[in-house]
Amino acid sequence: MTAVTTPATERAAPRPATPAGRSRGQRAGYLFVTPAVLLFLVFVAGPFAAAVVLSFYSWDLLTPAEFNGFGNFTEMVGDPLLYQALANTFLFALASVVTHVVGGLLLALAVNRTMSRVLSYFVRTALFFPFVISWAAVALLWKYVLDPTFGVVTHYAGEVGLSTPDWFTDPDWALPAIIGIDLWHTIGFTFIIMLAGLQTVPSQLIEAARCDGASRRQILWYVTLPAMSPTIFFAVVITFIGAFQIFDPVQIITPQGGPDNSTLTVVMYLYQKGFQTFQAGYASAVSLLVFAVMLVVTLVQFWGARKWVHHQ
Amino acid sequence: MKPNAGTAGRRRTGRLLVDLALWAVGLVMVAPLIWLVVQSLTAEEAAFTLPPGWVPDPFTLDNFQEIPGLIPFGRMALNSLQVAVISTVGSLLVSVLAAYAFSRLSFRGRDGIFMIMLSALMVPTQMTVIPVFVLMRNLGLVDTLAALWLPALINVFSIFFLRQYFNTIPRELDEAARIDGAGHLWILFRMIVPLSGPALAAMTILTFELSWNNYFGPLIFLSTPENMTLPIGLVTLQSGQSGSSVVVFAAITAVVVPVLVVFLCFQRSFVASIASAGLRG
Repeated sequence: MTAVTTPATERAAPRPATPAGRSRGQRAGYLFVTPAVLLFLVFVAGPFAAAVVLSFYSWDLLTPAEFNGFGNFTEMVGDPLLYQALANTFLFALASVVTHVVGGLLLALAVNRTMSRVLSYFVRTALFFPFVISWAAVALLWKYVLDPTFGVVTHYAGEVGLSTPDWFTDPDWALPAIIGIDLWHTIGFTFIIMLAGLQTVPSQLIEAARCDGASRRQILWYVTLPAMSPTIFFAVVITFIGAFQIFDPVQIITPQGGPDNSTLTVVMYLYQKGFQTFQAGYASAVSLLVFAVMLVVTLVQFWGARKWVHHQ
Repeated sequence: MKPNAGTAGRRRTGRLLVDLALWAVGLVMVAPLIWLVVQSLTAEEAAFTLPPGWVPDPFTLDNFQEIPGLIPFGRMALNSLQVAVISTVGSLLVSVLAAYAFSRLSFRGRDGIFMIMLSALMVPTQMTVIPVFVLMRNLGLVDTLAALWLPALINVFSIFFLRQYFNTIPRELDEAARIDGAGHLWILFRMIVPLSGPALAAMTILTFELSWNNYFGPLIFLSTPENMTLPIGLVTLQSGQSGSSVVVFAAITAVVVPVLVVFLCFQRSFVASIASAGLRG
């Protein structure tokens, strides 16, 4: 491409109408977009294609890869550990969506009113604090907070007469514990999204409903929530996408997948296959599955966006 | 319209209850962090006692002094900073150029390239990580910081976000500048960029935070403690047998508190960035 040799500092104003001007505009366009395109090819598109190809091979990352046809995929169909990881991940994502969206909505409704400035600042700050901390710090901290002997939660639960499980060694409680920690870590994000959505609800609508004698509950159900439906939908989608790819806390707190693999998630399984047992082909096939889920979610999002776009 | 005394009273109690609930939620959110900081400032033999101590007694800074003997903390902090700064500045530069091209310049294939890039937002990083790892191995970059910031230079979301913002800047401005003989670089960096403060701030904050907190990348690419970033360093410290729990807590505190202080200083723009980008870290 000759465009690369042109200095980017050309000063003339290209006129799109003349052929020379257009070609100069073209050249500038290619020039400006070249770094992004090259990086994109090397670090996104190329690796994506490579992962697709790799899913048809078996490869230990060292010896030459061997073509395996659909071997990886047929192996996936009969892999009970993969099913377990999928079940855990969907359960986690579902719980994550429900707790975040309901919690974030309730908090936003509770904060979006006239209240003392101290409380308002405190709540907003406190809710958002954990979100800016790295998962590594959060996961390590909570491992101690939930510790069965000296953990704070164990102690105060005991004070009010509740017995707590040994969270991370109990197969029934390890995943719920992670769900709780995730809620603590990211509820601030959902809250902010909900609050922003709530503040876009036209106040004339609420005023009109109030003048017509609607009760506060009726206003909430028939005015505020419907007007917020695009925000709620967005929060559901974005929470699901994040939750489905959950890796950091489960990997840090339960590096082996937890008791009876009860915290093994799909991405964690992918990591184990790719970088611990060195089955790069199989791991790539699993990653295609994650991609397929993301694809479906994105299609649902497009569908939802079209459905709700005239709603506001 | 004045509500009668009964409903007004009930409403006041209701408001009080909601206030109380919010105080309680806020306390639950910060309590683990307070506990963390307090334990890290408590002498080892007195830490982690029950009932939990909420003031450091006896107070000490010894726990912090023990960190460097176990992990190269300062080095890790510099590594984290280096990766975050290069990723942020580099990806912003690449994104600004591309966003300008997608927003202002017409060239063949523009919309096609843009759509292909956008659709890549669906591709999870875990899918590309194995090929990227192989690439880094062939380039001899495994266990170097470049393995982290090189792939971070391409940030499709940031290109998209900036392009949307550039599209809101009136085109008459650059037409006028072009008639005055200004080139594209001048228009971009002297006009569009200064007019895009909020969008650039949002992308700076988000990219920096994402890089600073990244755990997956360092886990894959880094193996020598001297080359590690803070998140992976923390986990290494905790899984090693040598460190006692208070030292682990001191290290977590040393990682978390500066971040929280920075957050408090930039809270408004930080929250605004998150809300505008709607991106999950």
